[in-house]
Order: sequence, then structure tokens, then C-alpha cells
Amino acid sequence: MSTATLVGVSKKYGGTPALDHVDVAFSRGVTGLLGPNGAGKTTLLRILVTALGAETGEVSVLGADPATAHGRLSVRRRLGYAPQETGFPAGFTVFGFVDYMAILKEWSDRATRHAEVRRVVDVVGLGGVATKRLRALSGGQRRRVVLAQSLLGEPDLLVLDEPTAGLDPEQRARLRDTLGEAGQRATVVISTHQTDDVAALCERVVVLHTGEVRFDGLVGDLIGSAAGRVWLSDARDGSARHAWRTGSGRWRNVGDPPEGAELIDPVLEDAYLLLVGDSAELSEMAAAS
Amino acid sequence: MTIPPAASWHSDEPTLAAFVDGTVDQVLGASVEAHLMTCADCRGTVARLASTDLLEDVWARVREEVERPATTLVERALIRVGVSEATATLLAAVPALRGAWVLALASATLFAVLGSEASQLFGMVTFLLVAPLAPLLGVAVSFSGDADPSSELVQSTPYSTLRLLLLRTCGVVASAVPVAIVVGLALPGPSWLSVGWLSPAAAVVFLTLALGPHLGHTVSAAVVGASWSLAVAFATRTDSLSELVEPAVQLICLALAAAGAVSVFIHYRPVTHPWRSS
Repeated sequence: MSTATLVGVSKKYGGTPALDHVDVAFSRGVTGLLGPNGAGKTTLLRILVTALGAETGEVSVLGADPATAHGRLSVRRRLGYAPQETGFPAGFTVFGFVDYMAILKEWSDRATRHAEVRRVVDVVGLGGVATKRLRALSGGQRRRVVLAQSLLGEPDLLVLDEPTAGLDPEQRARLRDTLGEAGQRATVVISTHQTDDVAALCERVVVLHTGEVRFDGLVGDLIGSAAGRVWLSDARDGSARHAWRTGSGRWRNVGDPPEGAELIDPVLEDAYLLLVGDSAELSEMAAAS
Repeated sequence: MTIPPAASWHSDEPTLAAFVDGTVDQVLGASVEAHLMTCADCRGTVARLASTDLLEDVWARVREEVERPATTLVERALIRVGVSEATATLLAAVPALRGAWVLALASATLFAVLGSEASQLFGMVTFLLVAPLAPLLGVAVSFSGDADPSSELVQSTPYSTLRLLLLRTCGVVASAVPVAIVVGLALPGPSWLSVGWLSPAAAVVFLTLALGPHLGHTVSAAVVGASWSLAVAFATRTDSLSELVEPAVQLICLALAAAGAVSVFIHYRPVTHPWRSS
């Protein structure tokens, strides 16, 4: 059962298409939206959170139609959103800002609201700095403040744009924990251009490239698509599409291996590079023909 | 009489249980408390008897006291006049109610007073320019892109945009109006000067809000502000400055304000309204 569906959705900025006839559905669990910068990830997320309307196609989020004011309101009541970049009104403390957001999310009773604010501030590990002013925090801590407000009220749809940017490994591990838990009962959609994040955080992955969906399925299946296409060699292999020297001093090659190559198990990054490379080749071929 | 060393006797468990439940009288409570300060064994018993719910409740109350941000002067004043705590918190976040803005406003109006010392005409011109434009600037400050850097977050919440807009405008007006009325009273010139600027002020504020969604709030404030400045400049040249605060102009301003208000309401109409078709 899908929580959010986009059918034939397109969106242009100026003349440039950001999304081009995208069909995708999201359901319970953590889904990663993977793609290079400018692939249309943020545009897709902003359509999900009712900040943008689709130009063509149909969008349904949590059973409502975001094209109508009623639909947007009902989505916003069940939504948690952490945009990639946001500022904060001046002068707030961590607790004060999350409390301010909770008021905007219609928590009017002070006692229950404050209890909820404490809960989410603790979940993101900021309980110790709750009384600090936002401007005194590090970038990673501010990212977690944004994450904290998105968790208010355990939303049914949690949308996080680049949630791992600026987080150190320990903070990322904590985020993985938080998202895993949220994914048990809610639909969680995160965007990233890091394959590591998807491998660590997501069950499902949607790869976007130049505004089109290039892959939509289980992370394991995407990795499996690169089986037999990754090998080690002592020098850069000319037939590789991508090759780099690893820590062991040997070269990791991704592409179409020569006869007798020393094949190894692929990781998500290999599969992603192949997928995006194949897509680029296909579009070049299409352009040439 | 000798006092036994603290660790040589212990409170019995029923007494400690009653202490934990809060059912002991004040005298016994005080003596148990004094004993607990020196007796680790009894503290251990109390820890065992106290339910985790109770401890969590106490801890939550301690955190509530420590973490809740101090209410600002503005918030306290708002709550005192009957504004709900939640609404007061939203209002206190309005940039126009912050110190720097109020200071700027006060100095602008002070400028008008000082000007009137030099010449009555200069004082009046400055006042008629500044008084309606002050709330207008406040609106621009509070609604331009920079004013609410968290606008993308705010937009994703279910809070009514119309309500938020009106709240912020109220905040702006509340910060600008009292100062200007006092200054108007202090200025020489027609006595209704001190209130005559209110309807032009309402007109410029509502027109700015109405044009905001179409032009952007900064541009719309600039356009409306420039129009009012031109009107004042024209009136000064034609020596008809006092007409600006006379009934005809006042009525025109009120009509413009009403038109602006209607346009604002239509643009941001609340979605829960029964006659709203979707």
C-alpha cells in the first residue's frame, strides 16, 4: 500500500526540466533518493511536502491531493520535513525553536507540547544543549535541530533532504538508528548523493538522473546488477569505465571485465556508477540517432 | 543525651514508603529528609521504593524549568493582556518586535520631533513621511525573504498562513503605532495630526500585504512607500500638506486599506472555511 504516488509528473525551471514524466511510489520503510546534484531530487521532495505543485501528472500524498488547499492542509498535518538548507529566526535556543515549530504544527497545550519537544530533542542527541542559542551550535548540531522538528508528533510521512550533510560518523550512526525506528511505522524518504548513506540507511532506492527515474527497487537488487562487472588489477585496466587505486595499492575497475579478470563482489557505489554511466551512454546514443 | 551516629539506625521501610508517596506529615518528612542526607543505606531503600514514573515526572519538571526559554518582555506583556502562550511565542519571533527594529523606529520618529524644532513645516513633512512608512517598513522587514529564513519549514506546517500573516502584521503595527501617536501629540500643528496618519498607514500596510504575493514583499513595500512619499512631496510643493489628513484623503485611504484587506483575505483565505470550494 503506497503512502505517496507520483504518476507522469513533470516540472520545469525556466526551460530546463527538473523532473521528466516521473512515475514513483513510496510506502512504509526508508527509501533513498539517489542521484547526482541537479538530478531533480529536491524538486521531487518539495512536491511531496506540498511546497511545489507538479506541472503535469498526478500526485497523491497520504491519500490527499496536494493540488487543493484542503489536500495540502491534510498532508501538512501528518508530515515531517527537514529541508536541505534553512535558516532560523534570530535569537532562538534549541528548545525555543523546536517549540516554535511545534506551535506551528498545532500543538497548543503547553505541557504536552514541551514534553514532545524534549522527546525529539533527546532523540537527535541534543538534550545536553537544549538551552543553547542556535547561533552557538556547530553546523552538524543545527542539522540535527532541523531533524528534531521534523520528528515532532511522529509523522506518517518523513521527508529529509540530504540529512547526512555535515554529520560526523557517530552522528550518522545515530541518524541511521532514528530513521530505522521511524521507518517501522512511517514512510521515510531521504535524498542523498552519497551511496554510503543509501547502503547504510535504506531498504529501497530510487535513482534519479537528469529528472528521470533510472532505478527503483531494493538496494540489494541494485548492487546485484553490478555482479561480474567489478574486478581488481595491478594497474589501471584500459577497458574499465571507472578505475581507482584502493588502499591496498591495487586498482578497482568497474565496467566490462576482460577475460580471466579477478572478479570481486560489487558494492552499491559500483552499481550506481554503472547505472548512471549506462544512462549517460544511452542518452548520448539517443541524441546521436 | 547523646545523638547516635547517623549510620547506626535506619528508618523503617513503611516510613520511607510513606515519604516517597508524600503522605508523611511535615515534621516526619523533614526528619526523614535530614536522615537521608547522611545515610546511604536508606537512600538505597528510597531509590528502590520510588517508581520510575515518579522519577521521570520529577526529572521532566526539572528540565521544564531549566530548558524552557525565558519569556521575553514582549511575551509577558502579551500574555498579560490575554494572548495565548502559543500565540505570544509566535508573535515574539516577529523581527519587527526585536530590539534593533524598535530602536530604529524610535530614532526615526525622534528625528521628526527634532525637525519640528527647526521648522514646523519640516517637522510635519518628516512626521507624515515617517509615521505611515514606519509600519510599512516593519512589514517589509518582517515579510521579506531574509526576515523569515525558516520560511520553507514554516510553509510545510499546517498553521494558517492568513493567521500567521495577520499576527505578524499586528506585531508590526503594535510596535509602531504607540510611538507615532505620542510623537504626533508632541508636534506643533493641527491637533488631529497625531491620529490623521493612521488611515494612510493602514492603507500602505494593507496594500503592501495585498501586492506582496504578486511582487514580493520587498518590492511591494518599495512601490507603495514610494507612492506615499510622492504624495507627501506633491502636497508639500502645492502647500496643501494639511489636506493629507483631512476627511477626503482619509476616506480614500480607508477605502484603499479595505480593498487591500479584502485582497489579502481572498489570497490567503482559510481552507477550513465552509464556503471554500476545493
